[in-house]
Amino acid sequence: MNRTVSILALIASTMIAIPMASASQLTVNVEGIEKAQGTIMLGLYDEASYKGSAAINGASLNVESDRVTVTFEGLAPGEYAVQLYHDINDDGEMNTNPFGMPTEPFAFSNDAKGRFGPATWADAKFVLRADGTTHTITLN
Amino acid sequence: MDVSRRHFIETGAGLGIVAAFGAGSSAAKTPSAAAMPDWHLGYRTAPPNGFDPATMRLVYGAAPQDLTGSLYRNGPAQLQYGMEYASHWFDGDGLVHRIAIEDGRAVHKARFVATKKRREEQAAQAFLAPGFGSLGDDRYSVQGPDDVNAANTSVLMVDGELLALWEGGSAIAMDAETLATQGPKTWRDDLKGMPFLAHPKVEPNGRVWNLAVGGARVGIYRIGTNGAFEDFGLVDIGRAAYIHDWTMTARHLIILVQPWVNENLRPPVAAGFEWQPQHGLQMLIVDKDDFTQQRWAQAPARMFYHTGSAWEETDGTIKFDAVFYEQPVLGVDGGADEIRGQWTDPGPAENGVLTQVIIPPTGDARLIETEIVGEFPQVDPRFRGKARDLVALASGASAQRPGATGLTVQNWRTGQAQSFEFGDQRMVEEFLFVPKVGGSGDADSWLIGTVLNLKAQKSEVCVFDAARVHEGPVCIWQADYSWPLGFHGTWA
Repeated sequence: MNRTVSILALIASTMIAIPMASASQLTVNVEGIEKAQGTIMLGLYDEASYKGSAAINGASLNVESDRVTVTFEGLAPGEYAVQLYHDINDDGEMNTNPFGMPTEPFAFSNDAKGRFGPATWADAKFVLRADGTTHTITLN
Repeated sequence: MDVSRRHFIETGAGLGIVAAFGAGSSAAKTPSAAAMPDWHLGYRTAPPNGFDPATMRLVYGAAPQDLTGSLYRNGPAQLQYGMEYASHWFDGDGLVHRIAIEDGRAVHKARFVATKKRREEQAAQAFLAPGFGSLGDDRYSVQGPDDVNAANTSVLMVDGELLALWEGGSAIAMDAETLATQGPKTWRDDLKGMPFLAHPKVEPNGRVWNLAVGGARVGIYRIGTNGAFEDFGLVDIGRAAYIHDWTMTARHLIILVQPWVNENLRPPVAAGFEWQPQHGLQMLIVDKDDFTQQRWAQAPARMFYHTGSAWEETDGTIKFDAVFYEQPVLGVDGGADEIRGQWTDPGPAENGVLTQVIIPPTGDARLIETEIVGEFPQVDPRFRGKARDLVALASGASAQRPGATGLTVQNWRTGQAQSFEFGDQRMVEEFLFVPKVGGSGDADSWLIGTVLNLKAQKSEVCVFDAARVHEGPVCIWQADYSWPLGFHGTWA
């Protein structure tokens, strides 16, 4: 995926600019994408940022099949969570119906599901090991 | 009431008792069934896979030769897991029935609507989802209304597509022949997951109108005669009134804003209702061609679940029929006790009364209250939105058990009503008008509906002549088994 590669390159260059003592690599696979169009907008969070609006890192991934992959490098090992949505119509927003319910697919790491709101940090968090971690999220 | 006719029907159907006990009815297999009152049969959980096609037996009368089609019905049918009961009747999973009638033969089948709630609760064999009467299990995920959709209230056929309806989430598409679930219906991408009320209004030409209720904001759907989505708009009704049904003339939508308000629609929904009679019953009248053209009308405070239909006189006066209550019923305690086999006669204060509402072009609305106690008012589909004479409803109340005992047809033009009383041994459900072939007036109709025969412990489908309801059923088909009571249906 060309766009994925370019985002990786961007992220990599950023990370190279800020070398970290114990940098680890996180690969996130997103599977089960229904429509091969638009963009997966993915945010990476630590516990402090999870409930806020600003992710600590992120990627916008062009969708050309039922899956996309992104790798974040230079992360400190520890606990992270992912929130993502599929911007099917590429309007840069997570669209909602007139009553405010999302009309575009969304997901959380661990395939965690919310209960009248986003999935909790406790349900969505996973561990990034020092030797790297691959985490797969399935949209449904 | 025709006593001799009723006696004959009782005697004839009574033959079924021997067969029921002889075959070992499903009641005997339910641990708590023996201690239950006979009417609890109507609240018993259906088999997990529904009912395979089975021919019903003609136990009374002769089937009308021109009656060809299918009676589809929906109702909550999973009311118990092990020793645990559902928190509210309204929370049971929808079981969609099809009674196909052709050449005098009736074949029944039924399938549960395979919602997320249904699938996960079946897998766990436990109630998990939050709902009308339940807070739900913390482990059950809820990411949108369809995650708690029980799909248990009614059915709609649009251009050959069968939809199972609830009121807080999407309509669920089903195969009209096999009753296999296809999934939530999205009318337009930006309306995904919007509620679709269980009481859509169908014009005689087939155009469908319906509401999406979200607190004080109400969406309006318009769907073409070919099932294609046409339009959606929003109106503001001022407060989060409970809206289960509404009504419509040829030119206007009438949204009844009853003073039964729920500002917090979080489960359990039933806990959030507040009766605010000081507001009265307000009605928002919306022009079907321009949703911004609105006017309000005011009536005394009443609670309601169901309307019949509305029409407009030449001077702009609007008339419609509905079943009105002096105070809320079934909301908090009602609907929870019955499924546990508990019931006490609530008395006349909780009876629904057939009422005609007259809204003059200006000024307050007037109520004409009949003495007819009942529910599930229905009119001839050829006259929806138009002036007509008749409204039919399941009528009467028993001091012994919940539910209706008879069928009544009120003629608004003459002021006369005709009734047939089945007595305490049958629980009477909604009856639908089916126009007779070649007829033109609303009296030229069959009335078809379901009845639970407590004596035989079997479900029945009854047909009446709308012009001669007092003479009793024209025919009765009886299943070899019973299925739980339901809510609403359609004829297709």
